[in-house]
This record gives sequence, structure tokens and C-alpha cells, in this order.
Amino acid sequence: MLRSRITPCLLVHKNGLVKTVGFKDPKYVGDPINAVKIFNEKQVDELIVLDIDASVQGRGPDFELIRKLALECRMPLCYGGGVTTVEEAKKIISLGAEKVAISSAAIKNFELLSEIGKAVGIQSVVVVLDIKKTGFLGSYEIYIHNGKKATGIKVKDFVPRLAKIGIGELVINSIDGDGTMRGYDFSLVDMVRDLTEFPITILGGAGSLEDIKSAIKRYKIIGAAAGSLFVFRGKYRAVLINYPNILEKKELYR
Amino acid sequence: MSKNPQSLKVNDLKNSVRSYQVCTNCVMDTTDAKIVFDENGMCDHCKDFYDNVLPNWQTDEKGKAILNKVVEKIKAEGKGKDFDCILGMSGGVDSSYLLHLAVKELGLRPLVFHVDGGWNSELAVHNIQVLVEKLGLDLYTEVINWEEMKDFQLAFFKSGVPHIDIPQDHAFIATLYNFADKYKIKYILNGGNISTECVRNPMDWLYYGTDMAQIRDITERFGTVKMETYPFSPILRHKFYLRYLKGVQVVKPLNYMPYIKDKAAKLLADDYNWKPYPQKHFESRFTKFYEGYWLPERFGFDTRKVQYSSLILTNQLSREEALEKLKKPSFNQATINDEFNYVASKLGITPETLKEYFSMEKKFYFDYNNQVSIFKAGAKLLKYLGLERSIKR
Amino acid sequence: MIAIVNYGSGNIRAIANIYERLTLPHKIVSQPGELIGSEKIILPGVGAFDETISLLSHSGFRTVLDNEVLINKTPVLGICVGMQILGEQSEEGSLPGLGWIKGTVRKIDTNRIQSKPKIPHLGWNSIKALKANGMFNDVDEEQGFYFMHSFYFECNDENDVMSSTFYGTDFASAVNHQNIYGVQFHPEKSHENGITLLKNFAAI
Repeated sequence: MLRSRITPCLLVHKNGLVKTVGFKDPKYVGDPINAVKIFNEKQVDELIVLDIDASVQGRGPDFELIRKLALECRMPLCYGGGVTTVEEAKKIISLGAEKVAISSAAIKNFELLSEIGKAVGIQSVVVVLDIKKTGFLGSYEIYIHNGKKATGIKVKDFVPRLAKIGIGELVINSIDGDGTMRGYDFSLVDMVRDLTEFPITILGGAGSLEDIKSAIKRYKIIGAAAGSLFVFRGKYRAVLINYPNILEKKELYR
Repeated sequence: MSKNPQSLKVNDLKNSVRSYQVCTNCVMDTTDAKIVFDENGMCDHCKDFYDNVLPNWQTDEKGKAILNKVVEKIKAEGKGKDFDCILGMSGGVDSSYLLHLAVKELGLRPLVFHVDGGWNSELAVHNIQVLVEKLGLDLYTEVINWEEMKDFQLAFFKSGVPHIDIPQDHAFIATLYNFADKYKIKYILNGGNISTECVRNPMDWLYYGTDMAQIRDITERFGTVKMETYPFSPILRHKFYLRYLKGVQVVKPLNYMPYIKDKAAKLLADDYNWKPYPQKHFESRFTKFYEGYWLPERFGFDTRKVQYSSLILTNQLSREEALEKLKKPSFNQATINDEFNYVASKLGITPETLKEYFSMEKKFYFDYNNQVSIFKAGAKLLKYLGLERSIKR
Repeated sequence: MIAIVNYGSGNIRAIANIYERLTLPHKIVSQPGELIGSEKIILPGVGAFDETISLLSHSGFRTVLDNEVLINKTPVLGICVGMQILGEQSEEGSLPGLGWIKGTVRKIDTNRIQSKPKIPHLGWNSIKALKANGMFNDVDEEQGFYFMHSFYFECNDENDVMSSTFYGTDFASAVNHQNIYGVQFHPEKSHENGITLLKNFAAI
């Protein structure tokens, strides 16, 4: 049986790993390479690594880092941050990542998705949408540049366009949920899921394995991603990489 | 013609003119250049243990009484606080067992403190997690900035000395003391123990991690980035200022009871799903590489000899068994290539550069500025005051 | 010596990395001539069918590969799209495949899949080994492998199906005909199971 994916998501900022709250206040949690090595040894389903500086600084992906990280991954690696061209996407795949995440570039240049899909295979194209609830009615809006820039584009208008071209995976990243560990925003997920047939990964808000369990229960097959949950422990937010072992995972799939 | 004492030392270490000899009682040998044997072939490590350590080592009711007194004091002073002491946790057997002991046997409420130097193994984080979880304790971590740590470690590689574990070691010590100082914590529980550590690493092998003169000299010569967040703590500060002026007390409970390493590891495995390490200090990937490969292969210093000798002196290992184990290399031949490449990748250098560091001219602590005389005087003073039993030399 | 064919497609580094860790002799082969005399061949591949088969054709490897695989009977393992091109054709493109195993690559029929997501088939899925050829020795079938694909291999001869996996329907997650092997999943990215499978292939 196909199982839901339980996916740690790591953020790269100034060469180090950080964890944010509401896309703000990055807390340093260590060096990416050793963290990825530990996650690999914990046999995580897959891993997402996002460089949160690249787009903001207007620079391309850090290929040397991607090469080093891919070398430590015996599970699929999805890399995002600063990808704006087909060539960059191709290079990322050739360095050993399985998936390329496109975020702000997908908003600015929608055609890019299909072009990259042609070059590396559409199943390797992952779109990451940073989403915030806005306005009186609380409609979901897409933000770019680490949640700093509103695009004015509604999620419900954008997702059908993705559904039309068909992508490998969509990561729904809730800015409101980021780092809060208060649980996923299921109403957002419900809405997006209704509009799509491709795999969805939800990110932002997971605070316990129970949160992941309830997502799996609700959607049967889903990608449940988390940052804080797999990096922090306890009330002092101690940095200690963790991930459910095989037995704990079986419990989550039940 | 007067002889320069420094060049004598250099000769000892660099040209080893001495013929090979191994202690008849433990497994220390002439790879420890300053080792001295008596007429029966017993080494000075053993003699020091039998003369100075053993007679004062109380693991019976007497020891228990001493420990209980300290424990009661810790509890009384900690009343009403979130925790009554702090415990530095690496995930290794000593600190893990100490944590179990402190909570389950002594009834203490420690804050578990872990310093992440960037080289944690999966085993280490797993072991910390299972203990903290099962004991329902709070964990506090400090993550050392990797860009600074990396540069610091590279500076030591470039210096050519054996003690390249100093950047890691110093950070562990300093962070803990700085934290205790900042939050006015009076008691630090420490897993250090006579039972498994009574033979100390010779100074030529593992030099003092808190010699600021040495650290400054090496980082000034070979470092490239500014240490803005890396925690420093000069020895005088934590051994004297914090201890005697601020009253921060380091307690080593494992010294007041029988502590058998294998039994401790078994209990941890059975009760906590704790996973054992192939060798002491292997909870850090760096130390594993360093003690398992770098020291023995580049310098001929095999720290297992020190560890096994300790276990021999405390009757946990036979000398024959130790000699047998020492025949095998301390690193895994199937994975060493991989490990070597990982260390290089992690340090941001090519494997070729790391190989260059491996084969460069060997240097020792005395090739750089140092405060060895202060350390020696301090050690003598501590011994005179009865605070420390064995002397590192 | 296991030759990993570098014709510009697939995660060559990850495969080499695993053999490196297993300390099994291997090399990444970028020139067709280097392929001659190798004991095993690995044919990786990601991306679209036509793109992949054209890359292979233009790389100059085709003649040598045909010779090594069909005449010298050197065991070959195709991975992901590297497996799909073992077939005769694909619904994804118009170019013919290598035709080493009789069959057609078809698009996953989303009508058969009851709930979302439907396509691509993404994530860890179990396998059921159907052939006792040693490839799945010590593999945890329940744990399975990582999949990431929208097309699958439909064998003409069901005896060529090496393992099946359920996704809406049972499909061939691995194929084998004589010395020719193919896996739809990514062994190079499937932790212990993947390492075991690559080790098994080396031992065939």
C-alpha cells in the first residue's frame, strides 16, 4: 500500500539551518550537512530543503551545498530557493536532488513550470506556495519573498492553473501556522485538495505526531511536512533532531 | 654544552629512540613517550592509581554517605526552582547513566544540557531523546555556530598538533559553565569517573582544552574568521573564579558508588532503548574520526590503550582481552574512506587537503604558546588540596 | 566491475555513492568504449521517455549496449525511466524504446484510483516479489521503495514481471527477462531496501 509521506523541512539562512515562527525570527539550529546526515540515518521518507535567502537576495541556488546534501541523502531530496531558469533546475537534478521546488518564480513566470517539466520530468517539479489568510473574509492569498510580499493572487484562483498543467507535487506552506506548532490548517488543505489530483504536501503548524496522525486520518494519502516538530524538543525549544521510528510510523498510518 | 630541554621533548616524540615496552599490569606502552616503568615493568599510570587514587576512592557506604550529604544539599537549595542542578549530556554511556542515576536513584531534578558542536551522530540524538522522554525532563541545548566551529577546527588541523578536538571540547566545557554562571546554577553534575577514566590521556596526546594562550596562538596564526559567538572560558575562570568565588560546584556522583560500564550500558539499553557505541567518545562523529583514525594513524596515539587500562585497573577488563582487542584497528576499514570524505566535506575542504593535513609535519603543544606551567602548578595545588587525585602528565 | 552509464540522465552519483559505501567495484562510464567487458551495467534515467531515449541514442552508447546486453548477456538494471526505455514504446512519447523486454509503457489510469492524490504515484509503496531470482533477497517488501512516476511498464509476457505494486491496480514495479532487469522505483533513494537491492544486483 502507498503510504503518506512524513517529511522534515529544513530552512537554510546564511549558510546555516534556521527555524522561523510566522516566517520571522530565525533561530539557528545548526549546520545543514550534519542535520541531513542524521535525518538520513533516521530513515526519513524524504526531505525538503529550502534556501530562504536566495529569492530575497535575487541570487540563484547554492549548487555546492546541494551537491553535498544530496551526497548524504539515501532518500529523495527536494531543493528549493532561487530557482528561476530551466538550466538551474536541470543542474539541481543532475547534482542528485530528485525534486526542484519553485516558489516565487512560478508566480512571476508560470510558463517556467512546464518548461522545467519538459527538461527534468514533470514529476520532479514541486511548487511551494506560501499562504496567508487575509482580509475580512479570511481568504487565502499567496505571498512571496519569505512572506514579505503579497501577490494579490488568491490560492483558489492559482491552484486550478497548476491542476491544468499537472505538476509533481504542491507544497502548501501556511505562513500563519509556521513555527506555531498548533496543528495544520485543514480548511486550507480541504480547499486546495478539492481543486487538484496531484500529490499535496502540507507544511506549517505541526506540533506533535498527533497532528500528523490526524492529517493522515483525514486525507488517507498526504505529504505531512514539518520543521519545528522534527528539530525542537520541549518548552525550551531545545534543538534535537527527531523523527518517528518504524513502529511509531506504523501507529500513524493506522 | 647545555641541552635545551625543549628539544629533548621534541626528540622523545618525533624520533622515538626508545625501544618498545608495554606495562606488565595495564596496556599503556612507550607510545606514551613519558611513560616510566619500575623494576617489575609496571608503569607510572598504574603506580599513580595504586598509590594515590585507589586508597581514596570510596565506593562503599562511606562514599554513599558523602554523596547523600551533597544530594540533600542540592535538593534543599533547589526547592521551589524548576530544576536543582544541571547535567551536561553527550548521549554517551557515562552521562546517560548519570542522568538515570540522578533522577531514579538520587531523586534530583536536573536540567539536561546538551551542546551541539555540529558533529552529533544519530546515536547521540537518539540516546538523548529516549532518556529525556522517558524521564520526563526538560532539555536545553546550545548550538555552536558551525561557521566559527569549522574555522576553529581547521585552524587546529593546520597547526599540525594532535589535540584537534580542542575546539569541540572547549565549547562543551565553556558553554556549560557560562550557562551555570548566567543562571546562577550552583551544581553541575558530571559523568567524569575514576572507574572508566582513572588512567588519563598523556598531555602529549590530548593537551588541555582550556589553555587560552595556546588557543589564541593557533587561531591567530591559522584562523580566518572572527569568533563572535563561540564560547570561551579560560581555565582560571571556571576552575577558580566560578568554583571558589561564585560557589559553582561540580559533583561527580559516579565516583561514590560501584560503577561498572557494561552493567550501566545494559541497564540503559533495557530500560530506555538506549543504543551502545562501539567505543568511548564515539557519540560525536568528529571524535570518532579523531580518536579512531586520526590520532592512531597520524601520531600512533591509540586512546583505547588509556580506556582499556582504566578498565583493567578497575577490574572490568582483563589485560589479555585488552591486548587482543588492540590488535584490531580502532576504525572500521570498510567505512573509513566514507568517513574521511564526510569529515572533509563537512569541513568544507577537499579530501586531498585533509590528506595533506594528515601527512604534514607533526607539531605538539610546546610548538605553540602555552600555559603549561600554570596548568602544572594548578594541578599540583589541586592535588595538594586533595581535590584531584591523579595528575595528567 | 559495475558500470553506471552516464548518458546525461538519472541520479548517477547516488548510485555510485551506494556502491562506494558497499565497497563494491564500480565506475561511472561516460564513453561507450569503457562499457566493454563490464560485469554489470546500470542504466539510470529520469525525465520524459522521448527525451531519455534520444539522450541515450545521441550518446553513442546504443550499439555497445545492444552488444553487451543482447549478445554477451551482461546483466543490466534499468532504473525508473531507465526501466521504461527497456520496453518497445511509451504512451508518453512517439520514439521507440530499446525493445529489450516486450511491453508498452502506459499512463497510470486515474479512473482506477479511488481517492486523491491520483497522479503522479508518489511516495513509499510496498512491493510483492514474484520471481525467485535473488533480486529481492532480504528486502522488506512491506516497507517497499520510493516511487515517483506517472507512467508504468505493462509487460506482454506476465512472466517478465519481477514484482508487483498496488496503485489503483497491480502494476509491474519491477521487470526481468533473462539478463535484463528494470525497477520503476528508486533504489538509490530507498534507504536500506534500496541498498540491499543494488547489492543483490551486484551479486547476480
